[in-house]
Amino acid sequence: MKKRSSKAVQLLLITSVLASCSKPAPKTENEVKQQVFMRADSTAQYTNVTQQYDQQRSHSGGMGSALLWYMAFRHLGGGMGYASSGLKPQSVVGTNTAKANAYNKTATRGGFGSTAKKSNVSASS
Amino acid sequence: MKIKYLTKDPDWVQRLEKLGYGYHSDNNTPYWIDHYYYSISEALADKIYHATEELWQMCLKAVEYVIENQKYALFHIPNFIHHHIEKSWENDAPGIYGRFDFAYDAAKDQLKMLEFNADTPTSLFESGVVQWYWKEHFFGNKKDQFNSVHDQLIDSWKVLKPYLKGSKLHFSCVKESLEDLTNVEYLRDTAIQAGIETKLVYVDDIGWNGQHFVDLEDEAIGSIFKLYPWEWLVNEEFGIHIINDVSEAQWIEPSWKMILSNKAILPVLWELYPNHPLLLESHFNDPKGMSSYVKKPLLSREGANISFVYNDRTIFETQGDYGEEGFVYQELAALHKEGSGYSIIGSWIIGQEPCGISFRESDYPVTTDKSRFLPHIIE
Repeated sequence: MKKRSSKAVQLLLITSVLASCSKPAPKTENEVKQQVFMRADSTAQYTNVTQQYDQQRSHSGGMGSALLWYMAFRHLGGGMGYASSGLKPQSVVGTNTAKANAYNKTATRGGFGSTAKKSNVSASS
Repeated sequence: MKIKYLTKDPDWVQRLEKLGYGYHSDNNTPYWIDHYYYSISEALADKIYHATEELWQMCLKAVEYVIENQKYALFHIPNFIHHHIEKSWENDAPGIYGRFDFAYDAAKDQLKMLEFNADTPTSLFESGVVQWYWKEHFFGNKKDQFNSVHDQLIDSWKVLKPYLKGSKLHFSCVKESLEDLTNVEYLRDTAIQAGIETKLVYVDDIGWNGQHFVDLEDEAIGSIFKLYPWEWLVNEEFGIHIINDVSEAQWIEPSWKMILSNKAILPVLWELYPNHPLLLESHFNDPKGMSSYVKKPLLSREGANISFVYNDRTIFETQGDYGEEGFVYQELAALHKEGSGYSIIGSWIIGQEPCGISFRESDYPVTTDKSRFLPHIIE
């Protein structure tokens, strides 16, 4: 019968990343709103990702590593550098035609997740 | 079963955050309760164990009944996924966990099943890790807890490992919820400890390449644990690809769990096991003569759109956007009440074995995402 306490509980994953998400950010009345911009190619214009930053901050109070997890840059292979579906396509490829071709050949994304975004609720129960 | 108080630990926040527990509070209101707990007897722990075991077997019979008799319409499950559900059931597709929620009436020493969170239950990290470390902090090994969640997760992944498709098990959840991410990362941690190679992909980063679901590096997904409800997956743009998938990816929880996570299972169970002592009377469409009952939407989450009727008068209602698919009517249960609030018991079944409990406490007789998590001790 499993009606007993575990003898030991050890975790392997980077729990400090999750813990860092909960540190409250010091706030002042006249705080200047932080703006966060990103791009994935040196020929590209920046995308303002402040909104994603704010979504993370509402849970966490600080950008920490959580935003980087959110942006989830992936390697395109073939020397084409990195891409992220969290950025506008023009901020991923810029004027780099070869990279644009590589980026457009990849799978379509975003076909799951719309209900959570629309209802703004956790998927948990 | 009673509340006992402890001397407050002034460093409780730091202690919890060291474990990776980042959602212990909601806007400075504690969600995790550190300074009081439920003291329960060995006999009650036994009772919950056996009730969970029995209900799990009843639920499996109910799934079989729904599939054999093609009762999908009662559950508002779309036609295209019926065959997938049946295949996942026939193939005994791997599942890992579920959580029964119970009302406990101490005066009658009676447990009643409120519902079964069979598809996307959370508070697993609190139950298996935070609660265990809380016990170690306050009691060391002098006291016991009904909590082998961690061991059972690792053991269950070991059992499932040979049946997984592909070289990796992907784990997925929404990006915007630290709670969901923590629960998924905890599950992934235990899978790694069971020797499974894993990878995280957020649910909206899952790609479709015309043949397979792929992750962000375009690697085909063979097996995936998703903390994302089936009823959402099947109604979204990529839902149809679940049946078009050439790899026939293995989804955990499997699609047959869609039957158990739907409130329509409550009247089905009552029909199959009328007057069973662990069940509350439940019906489709109307209360069938009950004067005190709870009206629940088939697919509501976190206590939304629930009405409490006592002696034919609505005494309490919660807001939300659910109810389009219809409602079930469940006999009003007596929830355990202490000075600090109303409580329900969550009982984990992992790898078909009852293995841990948790308590949620609320100011009102309904459990929502604001309900507090209380640890427990057997003494």
